[in-house]
Amino acid sequence: MSGSAATAVPQREARLRSESSAVRRRRIGTALTYSVLLAIAVVYIFPFVIAVVTAFKTEPDATANPLSLVPSPATTTAFHQLYKDQDFLVWVKNSAIVTLSVTFLRVFLDSLAGYALARLRFRGRGAAFATIVAVMAVPGVVLLIPKFLMIRQLGMYDTYYGMIVPLLVDAAGVFIMKNFFESIPVSVEESARIDGASIFRIYWSIVLPMARPALVTIFILSFQGSWNELAQFIISAQSTSLNTLTKGVAQLASGQLGVGNRYPLKLAASVLMTIPVAILFFVFQRRIMNASAGAVKE
Amino acid sequence: MYPHRISRTARWRLALAAVTVGTLAVTAGVALGSPAATKATTITALIGSSGPAETYAVKNAASAWSKQTGIAVNVVVASDLGQQLAQGFASGNPPDIFYLGNDQVATYAKTGVLAPLDNLKNVKSFYPSLREAYTYKGHLYAAPKDFSTLALVINTASWKGAHLTAKSYPKTWQQLASVAKKLTRNGQVGLCTNPEFHRLGVFMLQSGGWLVSKNGKTATVNSKANIAAFNFVKSMIKNGSMKLTNQLGVGWGGEGFGKKMCAMTIEGNWIAGAMKADYPTVGWKAVELPSGPAGKGTLQYDGGWGLAQASKNKADAMALITYLTQTKVEMGNAKAFGVMPSVKADRKIWSKTYPQYAAFLAAADYSKSIPPVPNIATVLGDFNQQLQGLPNTDPKTILNRINSELQSILNQ
Amino acid sequence: MLKSVTRRLREPGIRGHEAGAGWLFLLPVIVILGLFLVLPIAMAVWVSFSDWNGNGSPLGTHAHWVGLQNYRHLLTTPGLDQNNFGESLRNNFYYVILVVPVQTAVALLLAVFVNRRVKFVGFFRTAFYFPSVTSSVAITILFLFLFSPSGVINKLLSYLGATGPSWMYDPRGLFHVILGQFGVTNPPSSLANGLFLGVSYWDWVSGPSIAMCVFILMAVFTTSGTFMLLFLAALQNIDESVNEAAALDGATEWRKFRHVTVPMIRPTIFTVVTLGLIGTWQIFDQIYTGTQGSPSNTTLTPAFLSFNTSFNGNEWGVGAALAFILFAIIVFFTVVTRLATRNPDRLSRRRRFLPTTTVQSGQSRVATGGSR
Repeated sequence: MSGSAATAVPQREARLRSESSAVRRRRIGTALTYSVLLAIAVVYIFPFVIAVVTAFKTEPDATANPLSLVPSPATTTAFHQLYKDQDFLVWVKNSAIVTLSVTFLRVFLDSLAGYALARLRFRGRGAAFATIVAVMAVPGVVLLIPKFLMIRQLGMYDTYYGMIVPLLVDAAGVFIMKNFFESIPVSVEESARIDGASIFRIYWSIVLPMARPALVTIFILSFQGSWNELAQFIISAQSTSLNTLTKGVAQLASGQLGVGNRYPLKLAASVLMTIPVAILFFVFQRRIMNASAGAVKE
Repeated sequence: MYPHRISRTARWRLALAAVTVGTLAVTAGVALGSPAATKATTITALIGSSGPAETYAVKNAASAWSKQTGIAVNVVVASDLGQQLAQGFASGNPPDIFYLGNDQVATYAKTGVLAPLDNLKNVKSFYPSLREAYTYKGHLYAAPKDFSTLALVINTASWKGAHLTAKSYPKTWQQLASVAKKLTRNGQVGLCTNPEFHRLGVFMLQSGGWLVSKNGKTATVNSKANIAAFNFVKSMIKNGSMKLTNQLGVGWGGEGFGKKMCAMTIEGNWIAGAMKADYPTVGWKAVELPSGPAGKGTLQYDGGWGLAQASKNKADAMALITYLTQTKVEMGNAKAFGVMPSVKADRKIWSKTYPQYAAFLAAADYSKSIPPVPNIATVLGDFNQQLQGLPNTDPKTILNRINSELQSILNQ
Repeated sequence: MLKSVTRRLREPGIRGHEAGAGWLFLLPVIVILGLFLVLPIAMAVWVSFSDWNGNGSPLGTHAHWVGLQNYRHLLTTPGLDQNNFGESLRNNFYYVILVVPVQTAVALLLAVFVNRRVKFVGFFRTAFYFPSVTSSVAITILFLFLFSPSGVINKLLSYLGATGPSWMYDPRGLFHVILGQFGVTNPPSSLANGLFLGVSYWDWVSGPSIAMCVFILMAVFTTSGTFMLLFLAALQNIDESVNEAAALDGATEWRKFRHVTVPMIRPTIFTVVTLGLIGTWQIFDQIYTGTQGSPSNTTLTPAFLSFNTSFNGNEWGVGAALAFILFAIIVFFTVVTRLATRNPDRLSRRRRFLPTTTVQSGQSRVATGGSR
């Protein structure tokens, strides 16, 4: 465009003009990026805001003004009801028991197995590894009935054991640990070995402390996974006294007609049950973002 | 490891995480440390409660019996009775006694998990029709505890608003259609009810149809009478004087009725409790359902106590069932949550105490229970599912489908 | 030979202990996997060929061999089981073919945006990822509220002058509704009369019901964040020089994306699609919490049906058989995806066992996460 002019001055002007238009274009691009990002962010965040606000509304208010961001009147009735009419504290207690048992034991067992697969040389290691790979490929929902059959056969039905033990091992966790241990140089352990330290000692006091990032990853994934687990608890227990948060709240949502839609109550329960995972999420944000790219939510 | 490298926010965040996990750990620890439930002989009773009133009444009666006999009773309120019962049986550790609907009795009697109750002390005191509803292959498998029937429930204010009087209570389908049309005004629809066999089935009976033939061996769901019944329902839906609750976006007829979305609904005795608790300002009256081409007809819902074959103290459990189906207890239940007693002798007292429920009791003379066919509950479940699409589907399609499903379980 | 000699030299006299310790370390994992995965599957295989109805032990006298009867009930014998199975298959099929492409596209779009050098990018990543960490029960309740007949979405629609449907209560198929707009309300007889798995051809082409559409939106909402992270990792691994070269060639943004970026992240797309397929065929929690299959069975899925048939219908054999059919479906779709996305040049590299793909990408993420 500018090349048609003969003299130097118009040429420079043209170059300046095209530069400024490039700048402008980039600026428009940035503005566009921001507006798109903001719009999507609103779509992603707004539902959660609505949930929190509605938990403080009365039922007629929630039905009549679902969009309003100011509860009028603001009330904590829903929370009182959860405490008084529902066994909410029992659910919290059970979720805590199950999640903590599963998380800590999983971290321990996964790292043990991961270490054996990564470092120890023994006959059958390859076969064991292949089995774990194969097991990972079986979709969880397919296992609901089989697991129930086994839990019942072992006499663990309707106990904490039945709820916890089947969740204790996840093949993905073993994998993460194995891969991590393989990334640690062997030389670290050599000197300890020469000193005659036992294998468990090497694992416990030398390798494990170095594996903290991977352990934290498994801790987060296990905590989130077992806190949010539903199907396993449905098939492993029937007593209401063994209801976890997921099970209790799910049944709150699906059951009992004739008492209105009770959205403030249900949303209050949803909000409360999200808090522990949310805290964990915000604390370990960066680590979760990195870890989850690897072991995707089931 | 390098504390100086951890920023203040990071430290704060870590502390927060530690506190969260710590709190949960303490909760869990306290819970695990608390003493486990005592394992002395207790009888477990699993109930599906309609609300706090029912729970309270059953618990009260059970504890009164405990005081008399010294045997502890643990009343468990199910959040999903059907599923919990099924899991209880499948796990080999069912509750001793439990609520059992008559649509479930044949299913479980066939699998052999129920203990027969032919030797119950007060077995002769129940209505014969109720005993029959719980009889499978000649044995009684549940002690009837109460029953309910369906009636037409009317919003009295809307009734007056449409210039209708006591004389205009519908006696025929035509009259029902015409009052429904008159009541469809001011944003209110004339009639609303659940899209379920358990409500719309009354039209099948009024039309002279039923699920199975007299001998119980052939499915008759797609009979001409039934097609006529659903065509009638559909004509009301089409002209806008009737809506199903899924069209209104409410959970059940009582909710639509209570929220004044409809002026009439088809419901059972239990609506009394819901109206009192949730919609105390709505005035209502129950009348008998209109007659169809084949006369009067309504559905009956039976509640009973079942006994598990696997129970370890059957004798005590049977004594408890006898106690719970006594006049005194049943009248208490009637008062607490509006059901009708299963004991014949109670009829007079009940109708005297609750004249306003006369329509429900009057219907007991001609009401019908779901036939005791194994697995019929699953077919009826599908019937209910299909009826949700009634406004957009030819009734014949639905009835043909359910007919073949029912026939195939009858053949088994 | 030589290798083993050097190894022995490096690790003097420790191999004997290692075997014992190795198995000891693996023991808990192997016992639990064996007890709660391998043995149960064997037991369920037996149950799927038996008439066990939930009474007593399936290994005792209560269960009898019935051959393929349970499978026949689902696949060939007309009746309730077959109708339900056909419907659940249809529902889940529409769910899968809508969710998988949409969530993949949305995830990729989000990843491209949060990969730009903009301020507050951490905030945006967090916002998009947060739905993925919350429980499906809580999200389902939230969506039930948003899409209730008098809920948030219908209120928003009313501001736009539109009347929303009753969402979770609406069993009408999406394609049927669209056809209805063009006056097609009754099926042509060729479609109405033919039956496959107990469902008429007309009902097979219904599309997802309005109620199912809510679950489809929900799936995109909750999983796109997770997959965004996978794509983000892949995008960050693209060498900057490749993009610069393309820019020098004068390629537009879109052409650059289409011809440079997409081919380079192909393996990740494959992973996301595969994980999406596996996940969407397993939808259970949402159905259990939200609708239990209503309205008119249009949100019934094989996973929920399998559970319901066993735990509520006492037909454990049929339920178990259904679980294995579902397993076969998932394997089938995974293999098909593999074949469809196979790149002939890179055949040898692709010949990996499926989960390894996931884990290898996991490995690299965890490794970088650890080194930070």
